[in-house]
Amino acid sequence: MTFSENIKTVCVIDDDKIYVYGLKKLISIKQLCPNLIEFENGKLAIDFLANPENQATLPDIIFLDINMPVMDGWDFMDNYVKIKPQLGKKITVYMISSSISNEDIDRAKSISDVSDYLIKPVSPNKLIELFNMAA
Amino acid sequence: MPEKINISLADRNTGNDSNADHYLANEQLLNLLESTNTGLWERNIVTNEAWWSPKFCELLGYDYGEIEQSYNFFINHLVHPDERELVYNAFKNHLIDASVYKVEFRMLTKHNGYCWFESSGKAWPDENGKLLKMIGAVTDIDQKKRYELELKKNQFILAETNKIANIGGWELNNDTSQVSWSQEISELDNIPSTSSVDLGKVLQFFEDDQHQLIINAVRDAAELCKPFDLELRFRPAENGPTWLRVKGIPVINDEGKCVTIRGIFQDINEIKTKELNLQASLDILSEQNKRLQNFAHIVSHNLRSHSGNLQFMVNIFEEDISVDDRQEIFNNIRSISESLATTIDHLNEIVKIQTEINKELKPVDLALVFKNTQNALDTNISDTKAIICCDFSACPVVNYIPAYLESIFLNLLTNSLKYRQPGRSPRIVCNSYIEEGRPYITFEDNGSGIDLTKHADKVFGMYKTFHQNTNAKGIGLFITRNQIESLGGTITVESTVNVGTKFTIRLV
Repeated sequence: MTFSENIKTVCVIDDDKIYVYGLKKLISIKQLCPNLIEFENGKLAIDFLANPENQATLPDIIFLDINMPVMDGWDFMDNYVKIKPQLGKKITVYMISSSISNEDIDRAKSISDVSDYLIKPVSPNKLIELFNMAA
Repeated sequence: MPEKINISLADRNTGNDSNADHYLANEQLLNLLESTNTGLWERNIVTNEAWWSPKFCELLGYDYGEIEQSYNFFINHLVHPDERELVYNAFKNHLIDASVYKVEFRMLTKHNGYCWFESSGKAWPDENGKLLKMIGAVTDIDQKKRYELELKKNQFILAETNKIANIGGWELNNDTSQVSWSQEISELDNIPSTSSVDLGKVLQFFEDDQHQLIINAVRDAAELCKPFDLELRFRPAENGPTWLRVKGIPVINDEGKCVTIRGIFQDINEIKTKELNLQASLDILSEQNKRLQNFAHIVSHNLRSHSGNLQFMVNIFEEDISVDDRQEIFNNIRSISESLATTIDHLNEIVKIQTEINKELKPVDLALVFKNTQNALDTNISDTKAIICCDFSACPVVNYIPAYLESIFLNLLTNSLKYRQPGRSPRIVCNSYIEEGRPYITFEDNGSGIDLTKHADKVFGMYKTFHQNTNAKGIGLFITRNQIESLGGTITVESTVNVGTKFTIRLV
């Protein structure tokens, strides 16, 4: 497996350090993407995305957690939708959470900018599939 | 007068019956009398022989002369057994003291069973002043009597129904604002049996907070012809009802204007009390159910995030990875195992709260518990230069589970110290007071506050943190709330970001 040519940068927004470590490791083992940026809450991610200086390093995929302090996944999406027009790039957003509540699943599916909702943990094969879909 | 009354149609005109004769002879008079539907009778007081006029016979469905012409036959066979004594005594009394003979009683008719008649008469003396015979008239009052009895029965049923249903009627005159009501209402405690009272006075029968409700309903009925149906709290008399249903319907005149409001007044104390109890039980159940569901959700979510990570690490471990990576993954697995243990400890703590509800409550000295909590956090307090004031004089002692109160104070104090506003020393004020017989505690700080417009539903949730603070665990307030609610209390929060937070706790 080689890096997909289209996916250059992945962004993970999650306060669970072990999960972020695992995701990072898996992406590197499977050689899915060369760059990974991580934020431990939605606020930090929005600040990064909204900053015009970061235009060149915007991610192709965002893996977004729901439960986070300061700004959770839902608030992130509200803010993301607002700044999306000024981002000169198509970004695929996947929501990934350990919540199996139907309320969360339905809510995520009702957001058109969320491409899919996945329950943790994501298996290596599923991860590859997500990259292929976003490519 | 004849010695013996013995007439038949056959000898009606033969003239051998003088008793009949003196009536039948004057045919015109007889016709006149009988055309008024009045039957005539005559009784010989000495011999008890009797004579019944043609109309009398006709009223009973007989032909003239068909009825045996004796008083004994009359009293024993015509008069209804229930009224026999009445009729007999009326005769007797009249003969003794000339009291008026006028009785209503039933007689057996030929075809229609017993029917009601009214009979009146008078005894006449002979030349020597001795009472010899009685002459009288009988009219058919069956229809009238039946209506009367029916009415009586209906009135009785109505009265009984009202009594059983605890219902009374009332009427409000819109012009005079005078209210009148039926007897049943007066029988309710606290209501005078005056016939008509001003609306303002009627309001006083009810609790103060119900007045506006009544005024509005009456106004809408009077002005908009809108009926109303209210359940109102009554100013209770001793053992009197507390809940009354008041229903009113506007009575509208030809011009479409409401002139009167008419309605009922029903004692619904028993049913309303039951309803309120049921509602209270339902509220408790829903609350418990919500907590249980919340708990199940928490268990599922929190254990799932750890088990998910564990699975994740195992997946990566199975990949082709370096020795260093293996070591790091093992470290992560160790950390997951620790988190799992902590989560399970937290869950145990929550389960414990539910099982400890039945622990005995003890009088707890609030100031003492607060002092102990302060001592336990001594280092944190001096490190942060916190100023803490408390005043429990308004409610110094509360019946509570001592360990809960310690835990509540500890959590709130720890939070205030932990989430202090950078750049200023924490100021914490804790007071107690009593309102409506219930003990309250307020706990106020000048910390960084919580944005309640965003997080109101999460403040007391498990593992909900709002601050970029690495030692935020999101368990303290969740446990505090569970402890307070398990003893029937409530906790509410007011907060302004960068200004401070105030918790108000109703302990029981």
